[in-house]
Amino acid sequence: MTAASPPTAERSPTALTVRGLRKAFGPKVAVAGIDLDIPHGCFFGLVGPNGAGKTTTLGMVTGLLRPDAGLVQVDGVEVWRDPPAAKRRIGVLPEDLRLFERLTGAELLTYNGLLRGMPPATVKERAGELLEVLGLAEAAGTLVVDYSHGMRKKIALAAALLHAPRVLFLDEPFEAIDPVSARTIRGLLERYTAGGATVVFSSHVMELVERLCDRVGIMHLGRLIAEGPTERVRAGRSLEDAFVELVGAGGTTPEELGWLGTSSA
Amino acid sequence: MAGHLVRLKLALLRNGLRRSQWQQQVGLVLGALGGLPLAGGGFLLLALVPRAEPRFGLLLVEAVFLALFLGWLLFPLLSFGGDTSLDPARLVLLPLRPRQLMSGLFLAGCVGIAPLCTLVALAGGVVGFAPLGPGLVLAVAAVLVQFALCLVGSRALLTVLSRVLRSRRAKDLGIVLVSLTGIAISVTVQVGARMAARLERLDAETLRPLGRVIGWLPPGLAARALVDAGQGRLLAATAELAAAALAVLLLGWWWWRSLDRVLVTAEPPARVRARPAAGLVPRLVRRLLPTDQRGAVAAKELRYLARHPRLRVGWLTSGLFCLAGVVVVGLTDWDHPALVLTAVAVVFLITQNSLNQFGWDGPAYWANAVSGADPRGDLVGRNLAAMLVGLATSAMLAVALAAVTGGWLYVPVALCLAFGVLAMVLGVADVISVRFPYPVPEVTSNLWAVQGTGQGCLVGLAQTLALTVECVLLLPVAVLVAVGVAAWPPALAIACLVAVVAGLVVWRVGLGISARWLRDHQPELLVALSPRRAA
Repeated sequence: MTAASPPTAERSPTALTVRGLRKAFGPKVAVAGIDLDIPHGCFFGLVGPNGAGKTTTLGMVTGLLRPDAGLVQVDGVEVWRDPPAAKRRIGVLPEDLRLFERLTGAELLTYNGLLRGMPPATVKERAGELLEVLGLAEAAGTLVVDYSHGMRKKIALAAALLHAPRVLFLDEPFEAIDPVSARTIRGLLERYTAGGATVVFSSHVMELVERLCDRVGIMHLGRLIAEGPTERVRAGRSLEDAFVELVGAGGTTPEELGWLGTSSA
Repeated sequence: MAGHLVRLKLALLRNGLRRSQWQQQVGLVLGALGGLPLAGGGFLLLALVPRAEPRFGLLLVEAVFLALFLGWLLFPLLSFGGDTSLDPARLVLLPLRPRQLMSGLFLAGCVGIAPLCTLVALAGGVVGFAPLGPGLVLAVAAVLVQFALCLVGSRALLTVLSRVLRSRRAKDLGIVLVSLTGIAISVTVQVGARMAARLERLDAETLRPLGRVIGWLPPGLAARALVDAGQGRLLAATAELAAAALAVLLLGWWWWRSLDRVLVTAEPPARVRARPAAGLVPRLVRRLLPTDQRGAVAAKELRYLARHPRLRVGWLTSGLFCLAGVVVVGLTDWDHPALVLTAVAVVFLITQNSLNQFGWDGPAYWANAVSGADPRGDLVGRNLAAMLVGLATSAMLAVALAAVTGGWLYVPVALCLAFGVLAMVLGVADVISVRFPYPVPEVTSNLWAVQGTGQGCLVGLAQTLALTVECVLLLPVAVLVAVGVAAWPPALAIACLVAVVAGLVVWRVGLGISARWLRDHQPELLVALSPRRAA
């Protein structure tokens, strides 16, 4: 452990505790009261349809979006009472990837490392390893504004991992990532949780969540409608079937859009 | 199909107007009102001057036609990112043949303020030259051929360069060039006015070789056809018109070939330049910055200053104005040694950019917010970068002014005062930056793009108030400097002392207030810097 890693002597029983978390934007209630406990070393998947409140929830538990009510504890530290202490324990990959566009990939990692008070030599060593593992070594000197979407995802993931946080929050980490890199990242995250760290990630890819996560939470209309070990939530079905059943199926019937496939042009 | 594309252009214009806020709509109307006098001026120039000054008639028409042609080639290149109807790649998925696409794009190109202004200006040529009879037909044809030259030439060049223009670096360069064009136009007007004064004394023979060269270029041929038609040389006019029309056809063929290629060739991967691994901190200031959070933030600020096109425009413009100031001082008799102290005033004005220190981060500020690092260090880093840039600017300007005026003794005074003034401004700017921030968008296509957060008026008021506060705080120093220069030189030493001490006090107080506020309000600052959420 380096200077950036928090002490682990007094360890809380859970990596993340959430109680009564609420957030409304005007009349629209985005998160309508969430209770959640995620144990240490857990790979937790947060799934839900678009607009379910996943990103808002992740924003509030990472200290980036102030909740209207509720309590959030990361590794035993209350996020909204002592934000710096809580933030030292977490790494975040946000959904919208708003990065410092005019820095190169390597500069962005150095910036993040120094911002977190890491020694420059450690930052340099870890940044080099992360760039290598994530296949960004050749693009280390390229400005982030010139990165593809997948590369941006990977450099943001590298920035989130750099200080070896105890809890990692990832919003759609595998979106736009090529299969080879996705496999590397999966391996990396599995090794990471095996070491006692916790990963909380949101995704739309049910197969991936089912394969990776030992616990899963399903959000719908701002509420956590199912949560627990993946096996228990899916109850003998595939996670996708369980999800569709819980959220309620929508979409088209075969009679609609019947003209599709009849084009003579 | 052509009708569809014309309607598309009209819809883009209409929707652009509908999407913009009322200030932008007013701006567009003012732009149109500004364009029409320009068109009217061109009309009068072509209609009246050749009759009044027959010696220069042909040369003038040739010059105007060439300027219009070059303008049409250049300006769409610079505004490429802003006008989606100019990019053929946007239409690549439509089932269109190049011929259909060309006629559509040509007609769509005739719609808008610029084509209207061009036609109005060119119509002046018909009024100024066309006689009644067959010459009239040739004169009208010459003007239309010139219009087609502008349009087809512009479209052909755009199509050939469309891939290059879509690159981020080309857009960055475009932003810088567009901004500098304003300065270039003002310089051209000044130089043009002096040239015109000289032209009155000039013999037409002197300019004849120039006219001969321009006359053989396609716009020159159209101009010669217009003038010859007006003077009754119908055969010569017909031949010149045919040659100009041939040039239009050749440009059209070039356009067609490029369009054909653009529509069926795969987009090559973006070529990006990898920078040498110099590290986050620029080599020049490596020894000056601490290797911690403050140094990282300062280094990031300096990297942005060098790489962000809008910031480049800022310091390029400031640099040019400073240079112009030094040259003016050098060329006139107004060269009191105390002019070196104006470097302080210039730096004071430049540092007003620091009133929105988080704006360039925009929503990327979440990285700072989530790091858990103390906001005080973040602010100190930003201040450090502003201080380094401000001191370097004041040192260069003071030395340049001293070289011109001989006021070397004032250089250390200017540097001392600049330090104090910068510290004082940064103290005020820290408070304003955290309480009234607004995002500066990372839009590479449009220099004047703004992302409304609905707080523009409030921000404007706060910044005016901040400027007033700064002026009040600096008043004692300004009085001491005035006394020192005019009557009692030791007052300058007192001014330096007061500026440094007061500057440091104001900076510490401002920094303390803003850091304390920011510790509890980072999420609110992030919301203010994220346009989508704040809307």
